[in-house]
Amino acid sequence: MIHLARFKLSAYARSHRLFQPMIGLLMMLAIFYSTLTPPGKELSAYADSAGLLILIFAWAARGLLDTEPPTQRLISMTAAGRPGREIGAGLLAALTVNLGMATIAVGLPLIHGFAAMPAPADLAGGIALHVLGVSAGTALGALTSRPILASPAVSMLVLFGGYLALLLISLTPVGRLSVPIMPWMRAANDGLLDEVLLPISAATLFWTAAGLTLYTRLRRLNP
Amino acid sequence: MRLSQVSFRYSRRGPWILKDVELSLHPGSVTEVTGHNGAGKSTLLRLLAGFLPPSHGSISDRPGTVGYAPDVFPTDQPFTVAAYLAHMSRIRGGSPASAVELAGRLNASHLLEQPLGDLSKGSAQKIGLIQALLAPPDLLILDEPFAGLDEQTRAELPLIIDEISSAGGMVVVSDHQNQLRAFPGAIHWLVADAAVTPHTPDPQARPADARLDHPWDADRLPPQVSKPSARQVVIQVIVDAGEADAVEQKLRADGYLTRRSS
Repeated sequence: MIHLARFKLSAYARSHRLFQPMIGLLMMLAIFYSTLTPPGKELSAYADSAGLLILIFAWAARGLLDTEPPTQRLISMTAAGRPGREIGAGLLAALTVNLGMATIAVGLPLIHGFAAMPAPADLAGGIALHVLGVSAGTALGALTSRPILASPAVSMLVLFGGYLALLLISLTPVGRLSVPIMPWMRAANDGLLDEVLLPISAATLFWTAAGLTLYTRLRRLNP
Repeated sequence: MRLSQVSFRYSRRGPWILKDVELSLHPGSVTEVTGHNGAGKSTLLRLLAGFLPPSHGSISDRPGTVGYAPDVFPTDQPFTVAAYLAHMSRIRGGSPASAVELAGRLNASHLLEQPLGDLSKGSAQKIGLIQALLAPPDLLILDEPFAGLDEQTRAELPLIIDEISSAGGMVVVSDHQNQLRAFPGAIHWLVADAAVTPHTPDPQARPADARLDHPWDADRLPPQVSKPSARQVVIQVIVDAGEADAVEQKLRADGYLTRRSS
């Protein structure tokens, strides 16, 4: 599965599809950190970054999973030994790309963006929130990839619409039970992230697992 | 490997592509699957390969190592032939040297440094065959493998099929041109009307394309001219002159005899 994930990453890099989400990432980071974040506000900035970059993570995952032509996916299934390995290798490759992008999102403001170095606890909180953003974004990207939604126009609409729906639902009273993007932004801003990190992580990872399970089931019917 | 009461359709309300199919494949067997375009040959191959789960029924005892060569190899990938085959070798846990050896055997050594996107249909078909053979397959599935191949590779492919079956592998070949009709010991399945039935092709019959020669073929005459095996009728198809070549090629590819008049 590792070799197949490397093949998919290599195809993704060579196809230059990585440029689109990478340009989006750098533009969003440039906007987030156009003015220096004052000392003590680093975790709040990280929380906003992690929540808003879910869209970029989803875009990158979708692009990676769309790179292989449909017939090559069939060839890869036989080469890997069984269909599940091909599906797993695609998700592993998407996760790898998104973790790389999240590393840039966490690391760049340490070089330019924060007026002072954040406290270790705030840095750890920022990393945790970006990991949650990566997981939710990867699941959303997988569910809008070509094997699931064949039409590129429908796929992009569902990707942006799905992210907007996640944001809006997280504003409502049931937001903590969905992917709680707005609650984690508010909690970080109010300095209460430590208290809610566990339920927020549980809710995000639950929906990520549900999304990836649905993706895997749909892929078995649409290889 | 056994298919028990296998039925398949692509959507809940869609038509049945295959219905209550009951089949067995044995080690060392060579099976040719024929049928008209859209009959369900490729769907049957995808079920055999494990790409699709049956809507009803079950498929048991599928071997571990499956080689699959698609009818159209996907060339829109950003690799050279050598880089692509090296990736496929690593995924299969094999050595890139086997790809070079197979490329030599299928007259494709000169293609190794070419980008996949620059390959002609026949050359791409060879790369599809090579990747399917990188690890000795227990089950080799070839979807229209003869289409577009040069004569040397057409002659070599049956020998490769024979080697794999002799080593105990199962080989399933979809081929609407009936290229393996005279292959010794081959089993023939006909896919039609959502059913798969054994059938016996006319051993004297030859493919519509007169260039399709094989080592075991003795008769060089087109069967439709010399020995019609069933009642035949003549259907006139009137087309624009500019489309005549394309239509004639399609009909010949489907195994029909054509005569042109203007």
